Amino acid sequence: MLSPERLALPDYEYLAQRHVLTYMEDAVCQLLENKEDISQYGIARFFTEYFNSVCQGTHILFREFSFIQATPHNRASFLRAFWRCFRTVGKNGDLLTMKEYHCLLQLLCPDFPLELTQKAARIVLMDDAMDCLMSFSDFLFAFQIQFYYSEFLDSVAAIYQDLLSGKNPNTVIVPTSSSGQHRQRQVLGEASMEGVEASLFYQCLENLCDRHKYSCPPPALVKEVLSNVQRLTFYGFLVALSKHHGINQALGALPDKGDLMHGPSLDEELERLVVRSRLHRTFAAHRAKEKQGLWLSEEETSPEALERVPSASVPHSTPY
Amino acid sequence: MIPGKYRSVSGRATNNVNCGLHLVIQTSSLPEKNKVEFKLNKDTPSFPGRLLQHDLERNYSSRQGDHINLVSSSMPSFPILQRSSEEKILYSDRLTLERQKLTVCPIIDGEEHLRLLNFQHNFITRIQNISNLQRLIFLDLYDNQIEEISGLSTLRSLRVLLLGKNRIKKISNLENLKSLDVLDLHGNQITKIENVNHLCDLRVLNLARNLLSHVDNLNGLDSLTELNLRHNQITFVRDVDNLPCLQRLFLSFNNISSFDNVSCLADSTSLSDITFDGNPIAQESWYKHTILQNMMQLRQLDMKRITEEERRMASILAKKEEEKKRENQKQSLLKEKKRLTINNVARKWDLQQRVANIVTAQDRKDSDSPSQDPCQIDGSHISASPEETGSLDSGLTSALQGLSVIDSHLVELDGDTLSLYGSGALESLDRNWSAQTAGMVTTVSFTFIEFDEIVQVLPKLKIKFPNSLHLKFRETNLVMLQQFNALAQLRRIDQLTIDPQGNPVVNFTLWKYYVLFRLSHFSMQKINGTEVTQNDMIMAERLFGILAHVASSELPQYRLISILGDARKKQFRYLLETKGKKPGIVNEENNDSKRLIGENTNRATLNYTTRDFYNERLEEIKEKKKFCKMYIEDLVKEATEINMKNEALQKLWPQMFIELVRDAVIEIRNKNSYMKLCLQQITDQK
Repeated sequence: MLSPERLALPDYEYLAQRHVLTYMEDAVCQLLENKEDISQYGIARFFTEYFNSVCQGTHILFREFSFIQATPHNRASFLRAFWRCFRTVGKNGDLLTMKEYHCLLQLLCPDFPLELTQKAARIVLMDDAMDCLMSFSDFLFAFQIQFYYSEFLDSVAAIYQDLLSGKNPNTVIVPTSSSGQHRQRQVLGEASMEGVEASLFYQCLENLCDRHKYSCPPPALVKEVLSNVQRLTFYGFLVALSKHHGINQALGALPDKGDLMHGPSLDEELERLVVRSRLHRTFAAHRAKEKQGLWLSEEETSPEALERVPSASVPHSTPY
Repeated sequence: MIPGKYRSVSGRATNNVNCGLHLVIQTSSLPEKNKVEFKLNKDTPSFPGRLLQHDLERNYSSRQGDHINLVSSSMPSFPILQRSSEEKILYSDRLTLERQKLTVCPIIDGEEHLRLLNFQHNFITRIQNISNLQRLIFLDLYDNQIEEISGLSTLRSLRVLLLGKNRIKKISNLENLKSLDVLDLHGNQITKIENVNHLCDLRVLNLARNLLSHVDNLNGLDSLTELNLRHNQITFVRDVDNLPCLQRLFLSFNNISSFDNVSCLADSTSLSDITFDGNPIAQESWYKHTILQNMMQLRQLDMKRITEEERRMASILAKKEEEKKRENQKQSLLKEKKRLTINNVARKWDLQQRVANIVTAQDRKDSDSPSQDPCQIDGSHISASPEETGSLDSGLTSALQGLSVIDSHLVELDGDTLSLYGSGALESLDRNWSAQTAGMVTTVSFTFIEFDEIVQVLPKLKIKFPNSLHLKFRETNLVMLQQFNALAQLRRIDQLTIDPQGNPVVNFTLWKYYVLFRLSHFSMQKINGTEVTQNDMIMAERLFGILAHVASSELPQYRLISILGDARKKQFRYLLETKGKKPGIVNEENNDSKRLIGENTNRATLNYTTRDFYNERLEEIKEKKKFCKMYIEDLVKEATEINMKNEALQKLWPQMFIELVRDAVIEIRNKNSYMKLCLQQITDQK
């Protein structure tokens, strides 16, 4: 903690880099908004809870988009929250459209902009057929890249455009050899040659990473991605980014693809919820029957008894 | 010669259609014993319209035929008729040439006094050679082959003309027969009533068994008492009200199917006897009472006397019909109005949507960097420059305003369904609905109203229509799953119908499960008509259960309170706004919300605030945010200043310490002067 680098930075910069001020401001703002409720149980406790939730990553739930986007930690927490809440959707195997994923996002953040979701969908679908269905994992990883590194990606897109139109003064564009290209869709409808040369691209990206204020993926990993191919298109690059394990781990928000559906503690919780809801329904139905004057013995009506035979209750014709 | 007196008496009705006609011809010039009465009785059978009869023949001696000599004349076709002078004296005014196989009318010489001429049952094709019989009163040409009425122009005294069962196609050449009393043209081929308007003495007109298709042109027949039109093809009747004396009208076996086609009968005051049997109209259920109701002057219908009872029934039934018709008219008017209003609302909605689309597209265009996003608005407005879209926009909005002049919303309460069309209809929820009508409403249907607007009136709906169990939404712009959160504040929903038209949310795969999950405390029975199964509920829980878990357990306490507090605050705000708040309701609200929260705390945090409210709130918060920012900045400044000062102090302290020590040591070097200095300092201080 008391490392020399820390002391080397001037005050404001240090605070800004760690986004401390953002959280402080937000905390005070929340305090102001809810002062009647919070004053009941003490300001100290409020601050404790607030920063605890920041640590746990639950502070972004149901908050406005400007807050969620404010810091990388917020973005990562949001991604994690989204994953946890809707993992079951993915587990179920449903393929959803871009609009539906956007709806799910909106459940957690009411004013989440549609453009981001659209851009994420473009990565998955390779800018083709925007109404296509996507799987949860595909969408999630693409969304991660798009959301977490959105500013970086915008700059990359600009660079790519420049390269395509040959504006980069540094090098000569090697004319096309469109063989050896494994990914293939349209690239922004322009050039006759597909994509740009990987090494050239990487040089520009390196420059970008150095001078970028925003977060960007670790350059080493970017190099790894680019070293595998000769040429690549913009979306090809993005897809490769999204599928790269290393980058995912560097982000630290989501588990590996294989473990995406896996979450034992949450699963247990889910089972409990499901059983409880089932019981609740049959119990409510029994209670309704009782009200109609049908006689039921006491043991039958107790919830514990129902709990004992949850599976047996299913084959009964449920009365509704 | 004293003209005879002719008296015709109408016969009695019999079971058959035949009616009797008595024609009595009296000649007073003859001595008593030669008075002959001809009773032309139609009682017998097969041929209605046959005038002459057995009786008549009986009155004659058959010997008469013997006395007639038909002598061929110089003109090849016309025989000349001569009677013996005995006959002439005996029957000077009548001549019977029945069944004489005549093909032409013979020339009748020397019979200028003749008053009755009978040519029945012959084969005569043309009426000829009788122009000289200018005293003729009775001419019978029944059952011949006459094709045209002609040769009668000199018979100015003619009173009875019987031309039944011939082949006459047209009524004509009757101009001079102004005294005509009976005209019988039954059994011919006449298609039109014409050229009879001058017959102002005519009392009986028989046109049965012809080819008439309509009845008109009857004006001028001021004495007509009986008109027989049986067995024609008549579909409508006119001009009968111009017949001031008409008492009997026989329209049996025609083609009349509605009373409107014979409406002139209602205006005739003299009619007392009418027949319609054999017409399609007589088969209708409303036949009898319609006729009776419209023709109060009738005494007999279809040969049966009309009783008082019947008349009463008829008037009652007619009144009922009238009422029913009026009801139907009113209903159809209402329906039409409703349809027009709904169309109007739909058009307005359409325009609104298009305007909204353009606006959002414009926003998106403005906020985007030169990006790859193609904006698609129904394909037509993509390349519009800002000015263009601006003007298009204004064009649409002005059209929108123009529409609002007409009825722009519709509220319909139909037994157990309350239907609202158009956003203006939402205000109707403020009306004073009687408890009974409001209690009966179980279904509420919203069409052409923005869902966000509906959300704002849901508390009102809950209070005013407590029994509404089924909600239907069509063309309400449901686009997000989140919007369903708003429905949770209602008391109870059994059925939910979201029409795909105008509600894009239905295109999502998971929407039903989300609804079931969020509104699980309602235990809904049906969604869009399909029953909700246990499996559906479990699936819903499975899909979204974690969301609920996260939303409740992982939110910090203060967030929970603030979110729930918001919802409760809104409810209370509404309650305070309603007039006549009863304490009972307020308590109920509390209980309700408590119960809700008890049942479903984990879901209660999933709320929906409409976009406008949300943006409003964000705006409000901006001020606070600015203040917070400044405050924190001040704090930071302070802290950094202190930090700087601290650091500076850290740096300078050693030096300062050394100086302090040095100064002290220098001071104490000279003990005496130091002591003096200290004492002085103490006295100075005092």
